Amino acid sequence: MSELTLRGRAWVYPDNVAIDGDLMALEWALKRETRPEVLREHVFAGLDPDFPKRAQPGDIVVGGKRFAQGNPHIQGMIGLRGCGVGLIAESIPIGSFRNALAAGLPVLPRCPGVRAMFANAEEIEVDFAAARVRNLTRGTEASFPPLGAHLVEMLRAGGWGPMFRRRLDAMAAT
Amino acid sequence: MTGGQTITQKILSRICGRRVAPGEVVMPQAELITVHDWYTVNAFRTLEEFGVTKLHDASRVLLVTDHEPLAVSPQAFARQQAVRGIAKRFGVTHRDSGRGGLGHVFPVEEGLVTPGMFVFAYDPHVTNFGAVGALGIAVLTEIPEVLACGSVWLEVPETLRVEITGSLPFGVFARDAAQKLIGSHDAALFEDAVVEYGGPGLASLGMDARHTLCNTPVELGAVSSIVEPDAVCMAYATARAQRPIHAALPDADASYRARITLDLSSLAPQVALPPTPDNVVDVTQAAGKPIGHAFIGSCASGMLDDLRVAAAVLRGRQVAEGVRMIVTPATQQVAADAAAEGLIEVFLRAGAMVTAPGCGVCAGGRIGGVTAGEHSIGTGTRNEPGRLGAHEAVLHIAGPATVAASAVVGSIADPRPFLREAAWGMAA
Repeated sequence: MSELTLRGRAWVYPDNVAIDGDLMALEWALKRETRPEVLREHVFAGLDPDFPKRAQPGDIVVGGKRFAQGNPHIQGMIGLRGCGVGLIAESIPIGSFRNALAAGLPVLPRCPGVRAMFANAEEIEVDFAAARVRNLTRGTEASFPPLGAHLVEMLRAGGWGPMFRRRLDAMAAT
Repeated sequence: MTGGQTITQKILSRICGRRVAPGEVVMPQAELITVHDWYTVNAFRTLEEFGVTKLHDASRVLLVTDHEPLAVSPQAFARQQAVRGIAKRFGVTHRDSGRGGLGHVFPVEEGLVTPGMFVFAYDPHVTNFGAVGALGIAVLTEIPEVLACGSVWLEVPETLRVEITGSLPFGVFARDAAQKLIGSHDAALFEDAVVEYGGPGLASLGMDARHTLCNTPVELGAVSSIVEPDAVCMAYATARAQRPIHAALPDADASYRARITLDLSSLAPQVALPPTPDNVVDVTQAAGKPIGHAFIGSCASGMLDDLRVAAAVLRGRQVAEGVRMIVTPATQQVAADAAAEGLIEVFLRAGAMVTAPGCGVCAGGRIGGVTAGEHSIGTGTRNEPGRLGAHEAVLHIAGPATVAASAVVGSIADPRPFLREAAWGMAA
């Protein structure tokens, strides 16, 4: 089990959850708000407004197909990061996947069949480095294609900003 | 690993200096980086926060002012001025208002983008560069890394092959084909893939049509689009190339996510109903819906061929009472050519407004937008609520002929009777 492991409760969502509206109101993107402590209060405002109160660090959002589809605004992903949760989904469009990684949100974007593994509030454990998902309530487990090494490194670093800083420092040192 | 490669795999293999395969994470160096309007201010603010004072290669960076070329608010005046300052400070080319137009189109026109090139851009519709056989991919949050380091991570995408067959029937155009394509398939087929166009029907489509075909799949989740650089493309590209040409063709045994066919012969004019661009019906099913706002332009349909067919419909006619119509040529070149051909005069005499080259109304409705309760038909890229202004406006997408016909009638209309009357496509 890697240090990129979260354990908590699963919160399950349907297919085609939209970035704008479902995951977060567009106004936060238009305001260019990027503070996790502000955005965490507004996660799922359109679809599941109680989520910020219910979610605990370590919980996992289990999405369906095309989770966070639409114009890839990063605010929803920063909000999820602010909640301390992770994200796994049947599929996540590449723009939103990039944003999740950039925000430092533990994420597995290609987990076909994963939604059927969970009901709301069941106990879940996800190793994001190994791409292994466990339902501790049911005692079931599934493995998915792992992220590339660079992307796992990005999660370890805490997102795009720290990785960029590291790259700039390495460039300056040579 | 052996086996054939798609165009995308070949381009990325050349850039990476080794053979790459779908799913692999690579750090490809962009040969051109485009950043647009106010995004420039944000990207360079981030660079400053990270203490970056020098770009990886300023000669590869192109700043363009196209989303709001004619600034109409004090905030916009200030943003434009900020972009000018950034261009000077970092020593990069800035194609300011009036100096190019739409940044997804003029680089192709001017040969700044050539077959086989690899481009990163801070805008999703960079996919237009596929018209000339180049691969353009959008990067948003991480564009400062591309500016500072020349590259950023990219997962080598899978390719969806689209075989074009047949030829367009009378009164049907590239935009209809493009809308029908994204309206006929599950998004899962397009998601994160590059759409690669080829096949026997390709030769009948000009460069303007290819821009259109490369523009729309991104709305269904495609990461980019690219057209096989055939004889039409190579003749166009070699006549204007300002960069080396590395034209890449797919291998016969390339492996694709899927192969689908786009039969041009079977198409009718298309209209995308609210709320998404893939919500497409034949024009006959949408005809009669009243509209009060009509727009022709955008990176999807603001090219010379688009203006020609719109003018054919409008020549000698009037935009209906109660309809306002806006025409935005994509680039300065398109606008100048349209003027030389007399198309601008046709639009003006019909009661349409012609605006500064660029994105036009499609860039969020900053100019000429719509308010709550209004019904619009236009050739913009997207029709989700709020795209052209108020969320409560009703937005339709169609090709330029259908938009022009609808503007004349005052409700959504089939352009074919107008085109027949205009003897469209008949030898002069």
